[in-house]
Amino acid sequence: MGFTLKVEGPNEISLGTTSITGVKFGADIPHDSNARSTDLGSTMEITGKILTAVDGDPFDATRQLGLWSLVPAEKADCYRKAEVEVIAASQVVRKYTFSNAFVVDYREDYGDVEGVGTFHLIIKQKKDKTAQITVEGGYSV
Amino acid sequence: MGFRLKIEGNETISLLETSIEKVQFGADIPHDSNARSTDLGSTMKITGKILAAVSGEAADDTGKIARWSLVPAENSDCYRNVQLDVISASQVVRRIQVPNAFVVDYKEDFTDESGIGVFTLLLKQKKDKMAALKFEGGFSGE
Repeated sequence: MGFTLKVEGPNEISLGTTSITGVKFGADIPHDSNARSTDLGSTMEITGKILTAVDGDPFDATRQLGLWSLVPAEKADCYRKAEVEVIAASQVVRKYTFSNAFVVDYREDYGDVEGVGTFHLIIKQKKDKTAQITVEGGYSV
Repeated sequence: MGFRLKIEGNETISLLETSIEKVQFGADIPHDSNARSTDLGSTMKITGKILAAVSGEAADDTGKIARWSLVPAENSDCYRNVQLDVISASQVVRRIQVPNAFVVDYKEDFTDESGIGVFTLLLKQKKDKMAALKFEGGFSGE
């Protein structure tokens, strides 16, 4: 399976199938609810590689993710539109769109035995805008 | 064993043996009760595969479950009728019917090493409607 991530903000962040290794989507609903709760949220976890540019290629956009995670809450720019596509066998299995995503966790991991770093990004949709999340899929690329 | 899941609401969601891997059914009763509690609940956890449609067939219904998990509480469509059949050797071992089920957790997990995704769905019956939950089984039928 391949994944693409697109984040629209002051400058577009775009990561492709070569860098992203995993995507997790989850609904955040209180487990102790006795009936459908109004307290709904949604989280997405994206893991991938931080690639070094060789042969004069441009650097990947992972540094922009790190910068996004540092934007203070006072700036409107901390909320961005994020789109993740899951592609397998020329089919878009899923396309998640968070219209007002913000970063709740961002980590980068490097070791001396690997040629690549790994990143781990957790984003959430602004809770009062949960209704604007879209989950599409099941069509060809 | 094979599992068949049918969810009826504004739309019908149907998942068959090919996608469902595991089902866990449980009663939620306070463990610290000294006598039979009136605080009864029920939870069902379903784990399965998210298959990519190859050779032009329609995509599976897992996407509809993802959208169901996002239906707000104000919308009556957040409660749906769920029927789960556990089938083994042409016998219906269990037929669990949860008529007012709502989603308490839904997860999807994809990695670049596998060709399929994995979903986990956690359902509960609306607590005041516990008496309407049906727990049948032990009859033949396909």
